Amino acid sequence: MKIPIRMIGIATTFFWIFLIAFSVSAAYSAKDIQFNFGDPQTGMNADNELFFSLPITIVNRGFYNIGNFNVTSRIADSDGHEITRGSTLISVIRKGEEVTASHDLTFDIDDLLQRDQEYLFNDSEVRIHEAVGLRLAEVIPVQAEANFTLPWGAPLYNFAIGEPQYSAFNTTHFRATVPISFENHAFFDLAGSIQLRMYNNVGTRTGYGETALVAAQHARYDGAVEFYVLISGVTPNGRFEACLFSPLFNYGPWVIPYG
Amino acid sequence: MWKATKATIKGLIAYVIYFFAWSFLSPLSQLIPGLQQMIETFVAIYIVLMVLGELTSGTIYQHFFNAAKALFIIAYMLMSLKGGMFGFSFENVSLMIDLRMFVVIAMLLSLLGLAKSVLQAIDFMNEKAEPRLLKLS
Repeated sequence: MKIPIRMIGIATTFFWIFLIAFSVSAAYSAKDIQFNFGDPQTGMNADNELFFSLPITIVNRGFYNIGNFNVTSRIADSDGHEITRGSTLISVIRKGEEVTASHDLTFDIDDLLQRDQEYLFNDSEVRIHEAVGLRLAEVIPVQAEANFTLPWGAPLYNFAIGEPQYSAFNTTHFRATVPISFENHAFFDLAGSIQLRMYNNVGTRTGYGETALVAAQHARYDGAVEFYVLISGVTPNGRFEACLFSPLFNYGPWVIPYG
Repeated sequence: MWKATKATIKGLIAYVIYFFAWSFLSPLSQLIPGLQQMIETFVAIYIVLMVLGELTSGTIYQHFFNAAKALFIIAYMLMSLKGGMFGFSFENVSLMIDLRMFVVIAMLLSLLGLAKSVLQAIDFMNEKAEPRLLKLS
C-alpha cells in the first residue's frame, strides 16, 4: 500500500507543479502581447460599397503561441437589425512573431436604406459590437467584447425643395427653376444626380428635370433644377417626385408637395 | 518539536512559492479586481491546513486535514472561478476567460489528492489493526 500511495503523491505533486507553472507563465506572458491599431481607412470598392479597413498589428513577445486570434465586428441599426458583419481570423501567432492583419468591413448603404429611409434624411446612430478572441498559449480561450454606438450623419439632412419660380420661355412653356438644398452630414462625399418630376394638382406631369450634384461630407448643398413646363398645365399646387442616383445608392421616387 | 519545525518550514516554502508566483501574476491584479484577495485567502487557508496536517502527522487527524485540503481546493475553485468561466466588465467592455480546462485538471488533481488521503487513512488504520509480533526475550 505504501508504494502506490507514494506514487500517487509523486504524480500529483509533479502535475500540480506543471499546472501552476504553466498557468502562471501563461498569465504572465499575456502582458507581453501588444495590440496596435493603425489608422482606419474608408473608401469605396469595385461594387460601389463603402469599406472600412482597420490594420491590426499583434506583437507576441510572450512565452507561448497565440491561437485563433479573431476579431469580429457587427454593425446594426438602432433596432438591432444587422447591417454588416466582418471577421478576421489569424490561426496562430507564434512567440516572438509580429503579425499585421487588416480587419475589413463592407457596407452597402442601399441595404440600409431599404430597411429604413430615415437614415437618408435624419441623423441617427448605429450600434457596433466588437469581439476580440484568442487562445492564450493556444489552450486558454479569452474573449473581450464591447458595445458602443456611433453617430450616423444623414447624407440628405434637412432636404428641401423650394417653391418653383417661373419665367417666360415661349408662348407655350415656362422655364421653371426649383431650388434644392440639404446638408450632407455623412462621412462620405455625395456625388450623383437628382431627377425631379413635376405634377400639377390633377396628377398630370407638367415637367421633368435633372441636375448633377456634388456635396462634400459635412457640407451644405444649395442648387436648383431647371426644366420647362407647359403653361397650360401649371397649377398653384401639386407635387414633385424626386429620385436620387449616386454610385453609393439610389433612392426614390419620394413625393414632396409644393404650393 | 521536530513536527513544529517541519510544519514551519513547509509553511514558509509554500509562502515563498506564493510570493514568487504572485510577482508574475501581479500585473493581472490591475485588470481583475479582487484577484489578490482571492489568491491570498486561498493560500492562507491552504497553508493553515497544511501546517495542521503536519502538526498532527502520525495520527489519523493528519489524513483528515489532508482530505480537507483536497476538498477545500475543489470547493474554492468552484466558488471563486464560478465553474471556470471567469468574467468581469469595465465600462462597456466585458472580458471573459474560459478556465474550464484548468479547473477540470485542478479538480482531477484534487480528487487524486483526496484519494491519496483516503488510502493513507486506510493504510494507517490497517497498520493499527494488524497484530504485532510478540518479541520473546
